[in-house]
Amino acid sequence: MKTGSAVSLEDVRKTYQLGEPVHALDGVSLEIERGSYTAIMGPSGSGKSTLMNLVGCLDTPTEGTVVVDGRDVGSLSSRERTQLRGATVGFVFQTFNLMPRLNALENVALPQLFQGAGRGERRDRARTLLERVGLGDRADHLPNELSGGQRQRVALARALVNDPAIVLADEPSGNLDTETEADVLDLFAEFHEGGTTMVVVTHERHVADRAERIVHLLDGRIERIESLEEEASGRPSEPGSSD
Amino acid sequence: MRPLEYLRLSWRSIRGHKLRSALTTLGVVIGIAAVIAFVTLGASLQAGVIGDISPDDQRNAYGWAADPDVEGGPLAGAQPVFSQDDLETLSEDEEIDAAYGYMPLSTQALVYEDEISPQSDALVAAGPSYIREETLDEGRQFESGEREAVINPAVAGQFEENVSVGDELTIVLQGGQGTNVTVVGITEDSEGLSPFEGFEPSPRVYVPTDPYYTEEAATMLPGDGGPGEDGPGEDGPETENPETEEPAALQDGDEADDALFLAIVVEADSADDEDVDAARERALAYLESDESDASELLGDDLEVTLQTSAELLQQLQDVLDLLQNFIVGIAAISLVVGSIGIANIMLVSVTERTREIGIMKAVGAQNRDVLGLFLAESVILGAVGAILGTALGLVAGYLGAWYIDLPLVYPLEYVALAIVIGVLVGVASGLYPAWRAARTDPIDALRYE
Repeated sequence: MKTGSAVSLEDVRKTYQLGEPVHALDGVSLEIERGSYTAIMGPSGSGKSTLMNLVGCLDTPTEGTVVVDGRDVGSLSSRERTQLRGATVGFVFQTFNLMPRLNALENVALPQLFQGAGRGERRDRARTLLERVGLGDRADHLPNELSGGQRQRVALARALVNDPAIVLADEPSGNLDTETEADVLDLFAEFHEGGTTMVVVTHERHVADRAERIVHLLDGRIERIESLEEEASGRPSEPGSSD
Repeated sequence: MRPLEYLRLSWRSIRGHKLRSALTTLGVVIGIAAVIAFVTLGASLQAGVIGDISPDDQRNAYGWAADPDVEGGPLAGAQPVFSQDDLETLSEDEEIDAAYGYMPLSTQALVYEDEISPQSDALVAAGPSYIREETLDEGRQFESGEREAVINPAVAGQFEENVSVGDELTIVLQGGQGTNVTVVGITEDSEGLSPFEGFEPSPRVYVPTDPYYTEEAATMLPGDGGPGEDGPGEDGPETENPETEEPAALQDGDEADDALFLAIVVEADSADDEDVDAARERALAYLESDESDASELLGDDLEVTLQTSAELLQQLQDVLDLLQNFIVGIAAISLVVGSIGIANIMLVSVTERTREIGIMKAVGAQNRDVLGLFLAESVILGAVGAILGTALGLVAGYLGAWYIDLPLVYPLEYVALAIVIGVLVGVASGLYPAWRAARTDPIDALRYE
């Protein structure tokens, strides 16, 4: 296991040229420790998606550095970035984003395919994870034969299959009803207990409350970071620091 | 990612759109099937035609005199220039086994036991060895100077009662006069015996040039019979002047000397190329020299052609090849159309699956993985189309060959080529769509609805 932060952002700016420059992120510095559970909150346009794309190695910063699992994302070629993403980041999306023609097992196994794992190895690993998310008996079902909660659990299993340094969840319960949302969030907690670094982007307070801390974004800056470590004693919040 | 995995995954998405994939493949299927069917037919036709040249026929050189500018097969533009004297001289040459005239004669009908069967051009006058031993089913060759005939089964079966060896036939010639022959042999099948006749089955009676043609010629050559004057044209002499009376020839004295043949057959000692060439050279040298009667008639316009069956068929083959290339060209165009169809559907597929591309890239698919997946898909479409098209083409070729009764030859190298072409079509048509898929930005793709 590598030491240091799973993700480290230092004075990150992301500017889009849409007629006039738009600063989606305007000087963000953030450390995400290994094994931590972070929620990112903020209204629309606050830079949540941009931050997630950067942490997920889908994009590179205009300025500043993003270090994921010890590697500076901005300095990598597109190919190296893809490699890093495949090996160290697991995605969970609001709309599940499962491959419609692959069954649950194959969906879970998909990321390993691009890492060059053999077929038997892929299937064994995928089956283990499907069992851990409680879908061992749904392995050969197609996504459209699964409920929303089941699909999200498949997606979570897929995110975990390469043993990533960080799991990035974007509104993971946005399309789920209250009960299945609780199930999925319980699973998140369970994997977090097991040592997985979790980052959840959400605009729902009760989802964010399951994390250890909440990063509040506003207008491309970190408004404040709220620590929830001592949950039992109410909600002591500390003032956030942006740039 | 391994190539096999690309194929497996791609096969899944093809199966996900069965009808669409099937229709897309159809373009390639039709193109390849057309090529394979015509190539199979062509190869079978070739085998059928070449197979008709018996070993004994291979030593024969077939000759006629025509304007060198006249294009076409055997006897095209032929003029009768070969005299009996020339043939006799040639026969005596040591390089030449035999030389005899060939003359198709027009008839009106064949009569057997009072039964009349109208026949317009069933009569062929030639030398005895024109009937090769191995083509005879029963009986023997006719003999020169005798009123004998060899008939083929098409003639034998034409009458209520089958004609058999030993029976008498009456041949009604173009002029109306009848002449009797004794059937001495029946050939095995009704196909032509030489390129002069063509190879398609038709009723034929083979008779010796002497007496049949020499007599016939005598009835119609009033003067010296030069072709420039009112000599017989290529359709045969009898149509020229059917009403000519016997005495016209008698004035000329020796009738046999006046018979000019439209064509000759020169038989070499063996079927070896050397022997055939030697015989042919000797024959040509003589015919073109001043010693021969033919040289007088050849003049400046005519030239003697002497070719073997194989060479004559080569001309036919060339025509067939040209036709086949033409059809294969059209089929190739349909292949191009087919590959445009694949390219089109692949582009649709890439757009449709933008989100899937985004997912794959998010979970670590490299550009080349996406490229490989889509390329594999179009290659599968192309290859499956080629395989189905090949099967369909072979069946069609088989049915065609069976229908026109040819020996079936499967052009295996074309089958292999078809598969390769199918793969190439897949690559060519899939390259651009796959490239577009590969460079899809995962962030945009994941947002794509």
